[in-house]
Amino acid sequence: MTEERKSVAAAAGIDPRLLEILVCPLTKTVLRYDAERNELVSLAARLAYPIRDGIPIMLPEEARRLEDDAA
Amino acid sequence: MNQMPRDLAQIENAHVEEAYARWAPIYDLAFTAVMAPGRRAAVAAAQRLGGKVLDVGVGTGLELPMFDADVELVGVDLSEPMLRRAQDRIARDSLTRVKGLCVMDATRLAFADGTFDATVAPYVLTVVPDPQATMAELARVTRVGGEIVLVNHVGAEAGPIAWIERWMGKRSASLGWRPEFPWAILGDWIASRKDLKLVERRKIAPLGLFTLTRIEKLF
Repeated sequence: MTEERKSVAAAAGIDPRLLEILVCPLTKTVLRYDAERNELVSLAARLAYPIRDGIPIMLPEEARRLEDDAA
Repeated sequence: MNQMPRDLAQIENAHVEEAYARWAPIYDLAFTAVMAPGRRAAVAAAQRLGGKVLDVGVGTGLELPMFDADVELVGVDLSEPMLRRAQDRIARDSLTRVKGLCVMDATRLAFADGTFDATVAPYVLTVVPDPQATMAELARVTRVGGEIVLVNHVGAEAGPIAWIERWMGKRSASLGWRPEFPWAILGDWIASRKDLKLVERRKIAPLGLFTLTRIEKLF
């Protein structure tokens, strides 16, 4: 992760070390951190997991589907 | 669509989420004293192994202050209301050892294989809809040479306590947990996995109500 990404993550209340170890709960593949939407994006599962008040919600049923917007 | 088993599990998870949303405000008051020795024993066993520990079913974070300050902890739970209580506790007590909290289903953990030196699950197996799938995930995210540490109420196999537990078992949907939990559920599962070894099983003093279990990941 870049230094810029780390400071962005810290500003969102997430420890960068946590972001580094999280994977998609369905595909177990890496996630992309979308700082603008404050989401963790799984391209493999086409899902975006929300981060609410510093807590990533890693449940597929609570994730946003990526079908309409090309992430 | 072959969705049946997943849907059934989701209904059970909804019960658990609902039950713990109700328990969250009074959980600490109701359960602190009787469960604390088990939590302390689990913490001591888990942090022996090194730096990174995953706490599955961290709830309101009752055991978080029991860990040494140099342990790197991550806590997960299915119940967001319970995690909000844990978040308050972390802020109030400045628990910098906690690197993060996440809402997760214990049967679908969002960590890569072998991420943690130890995974600890205090009082969890008796409340999850699928204990074996949960155990499989705990084993997956634990590194080789690491350990899974459990504390549970393992049910009595006969006698009046067993009778009461069976009666309570019928009410487990509203309680949010399952008072009946025979050792065989865990014992048979460990025996079926060549890569895992039971290294310790002991009753926690003073009451002996709860059992500490340590399982090593061999390869």
